[in-house]
Amino acid sequence: MMRTMISLLAVLTLWALPALAQDSGPLRIEITEGVIEPMPYAVPDFVAESGAERDMARNLSRVIAADLSGTGLFREIPQDAHISRITSFQSPVQYADWRAVNAQALITGTVRFDGSDRMVVQFRIHDVFAGQELGDGLQFVGTRDGWRRIAHKVADVVYSRITGEDGYFDSRVVFVAESGPKDDRAKRLAIMDYDGANLRYLTDSSNIVLAPRFSATGDRVLYTSYEMGFPRIYVLDVANVGRRVLPTLDGTMSFAPRFAPDGRTVAYSLSQGGNTDLYRMNIDGGQSTRLTSAPSIETAPSYSPDGRRIVFESDRSGTPQLYIMPAGGGEATRISFGQGRYGTPVWSPRGDLIAFTKQSGGRFHIGVMRTDGSEERLLTASFLDEGPTWAPNGRVIMFTRESRGAQGQSRIYSVDISGRNLKQVETPGGASDPSWGPLQQ
Amino acid sequence: MDTGQIISGTGHLALIGWALFGGSFQSAPEPFEVIQATTVSESEFAAIMDRAETPEAVANVDTPEPPAEGQTAPQVTPEAETAPEAAPPRVEESTPPEGVEGAPPSMQVPSEDMAVMVPEVSPRPQPRPAPRVAPEAAPEPEPDTRVDDVTQPEVTPDEGAETAEEPSEATAPEEAAREIVTEAEETDAPAQAAPPASVRPRTRPDRPDPPQEAPTATAEAPSEPEPEPAPEPEPEPEPPQPASDRAAIDDALAAALGEAQQGTERPSGPPLTGGERDALRVAVQRCWNVGSLSSEALRTTVEVAVSMTREGRPDIGSIRLVGSSGGSDAAAKQAYEAARRAIIRCGTDGFDLPVEKYDQWREIEMTFNPESMRIR
Repeated sequence: MMRTMISLLAVLTLWALPALAQDSGPLRIEITEGVIEPMPYAVPDFVAESGAERDMARNLSRVIAADLSGTGLFREIPQDAHISRITSFQSPVQYADWRAVNAQALITGTVRFDGSDRMVVQFRIHDVFAGQELGDGLQFVGTRDGWRRIAHKVADVVYSRITGEDGYFDSRVVFVAESGPKDDRAKRLAIMDYDGANLRYLTDSSNIVLAPRFSATGDRVLYTSYEMGFPRIYVLDVANVGRRVLPTLDGTMSFAPRFAPDGRTVAYSLSQGGNTDLYRMNIDGGQSTRLTSAPSIETAPSYSPDGRRIVFESDRSGTPQLYIMPAGGGEATRISFGQGRYGTPVWSPRGDLIAFTKQSGGRFHIGVMRTDGSEERLLTASFLDEGPTWAPNGRVIMFTRESRGAQGQSRIYSVDISGRNLKQVETPGGASDPSWGPLQQ
Repeated sequence: MDTGQIISGTGHLALIGWALFGGSFQSAPEPFEVIQATTVSESEFAAIMDRAETPEAVANVDTPEPPAEGQTAPQVTPEAETAPEAAPPRVEESTPPEGVEGAPPSMQVPSEDMAVMVPEVSPRPQPRPAPRVAPEAAPEPEPDTRVDDVTQPEVTPDEGAETAEEPSEATAPEEAAREIVTEAEETDAPAQAAPPASVRPRTRPDRPDPPQEAPTATAEAPSEPEPEPAPEPEPEPEPPQPASDRAAIDDALAAALGEAQQGTERPSGPPLTGGERDALRVAVQRCWNVGSLSSEALRTTVEVAVSMTREGRPDIGSIRLVGSSGGSDAAAKQAYEAARRAIIRCGTDGFDLPVEKYDQWREIEMTFNPESMRIR
């Protein structure tokens, strides 16, 4: 009897072993819910010695702060709330002072004019609560005239170090600048920094221009112009504003061009005898190849980042919908199946999403979907939203929003792909058809 | 045949006999109802129906005849169906108050643009897109309200009060929404009185882990679901040896427990309760901000280990990444940094952990799983 009890006890004790083993070691908890809110950061004026350098330092810190806060992912702690000053770039940072104002990230830097026109900007990014630097310090050297670009580059590094993805601040946008009433609107091509600064006009307003599109390297722009009385495609060199018309067949209209990632091939729409199909052209040789041959309207082609596929708009099913086909033509697969009309698809630079315009229920939306058409999300809704274009990092979308009425104007807006941070991009007047270029080299 | 079988057989026979003849299997007859009926001829039935359709004047009947058996009750139209004549409402011509002259103002027809701005029906309040997304939604706090976890009104000392109250400023949680509301979603909901669909109720939270007590064999034995193993068959029963049995039990326990305790030092003291673990989890997730993480980092789960001081503060130098899954090394680094910030920020004042159980939480491993925080 006693032996039985002993055996039973031994068995039960052995059974309890795993529980005992689990109890040893650290306490384990799983965190599955957090918060999504802008990260508080501080960017005190960069350290400078002379008066001119101090002015420049202040300008730099303001542009950096505008870039970061403008993403909606960061929130600046106002400078008047700082309880500590950075007087030396090399001295250790008093992290406790920055923790006290709840700054989670801190950007410190210094500006020094070097020679007649050059300036040197050094900076560091600090993780305040960890009490350590985020990566190594960096230095940018540039001309004083190009100070905004240096500020954008600093902000890009900060953004990249904290979020883990590339920034988009040192980039430019080409668009159609508009002026005058709706029925007599003057349009010309313009280029600006992503934040609206450094605006420059690329064409005059004597002819209607449409749909400018950056090349992958940002050095050239394709656009459609009515200079000859009917739509023709032009290619414009951004640096010297030189331009030339692309060859096309007589009696045809060509429009909606877009560069392939290789920068040599252009996909576009060609309308002939009432039918519109997609073509591609070698921009140097001028030979065109037909990609679609359907009685329906095929337009708005956009290449995938690897250049192997094209997403486009077609009404072959009765209403405009989105399709994907191989870059050399071939069988197309429909990807949009929701209610409404889909158009102007644009492939994300990351390759995972397609942005589009959707007309449904009397309203226009900018939306995104996966490349197989799943997970469609509408980000905006208004009287007229159209023509999305991706930020170089695929995180933000710009588009045109036109207000209602005879006095209605077009403006450029931007929105995060989460649907947050919808805001207007500052332009001097009306603006439409934005095309977001790559990060500058 | 032994005596036992005889007794058993007799007993069973007696029982069967009693069951058969004792009336146990005979049921009493069910009582039945007797209804008396009379035959009615065709002419009598027609006469009855006739009377039913055209009742005689009620005034001539003092006491109604009891109906013959089987007679159908006459249909009687309730008098209440006749609507009483409604008294005309008194209408008094209102006279304009003194000082008001002229015709009533006419409403101007709004222009097209204005008409658009006037909603036809009062829209129901829509969920506001708050800049902060948190597990629990919170309204926008009143101005001059300090952001805090708890909501409390402002307390000002009352001079006339008998007991002086500690003055404190009003606090409220920071405004937050439960999810990102895009412009399309914000205005998509039609303005109507009833919501088109109700919010899906949240799934019940997982049952908290059972307290990790060191189970003893006697405590756990009754709940052991598995069949108890049969004791080993002993071919040769041995005589009981009381003195050596106690030693054998001790040996068996020592052998079993000794293995478990070998190598690692088991935390002493009682384990943390589910509530205490939840409180720690909530305290950390309040500071876990994933808003500035890349899409890839939002697909990366990281395990972060931290040593704690007795005051409940994390030892910053001890925070380390012990594992990650779902993303590249770079993404894991970003996710780890966000997790580290959460631990440090919310641990600055010390987590609310029971000091008597310090051994249980001296070392903590937190798994940060952002699956539910991704952009949907």
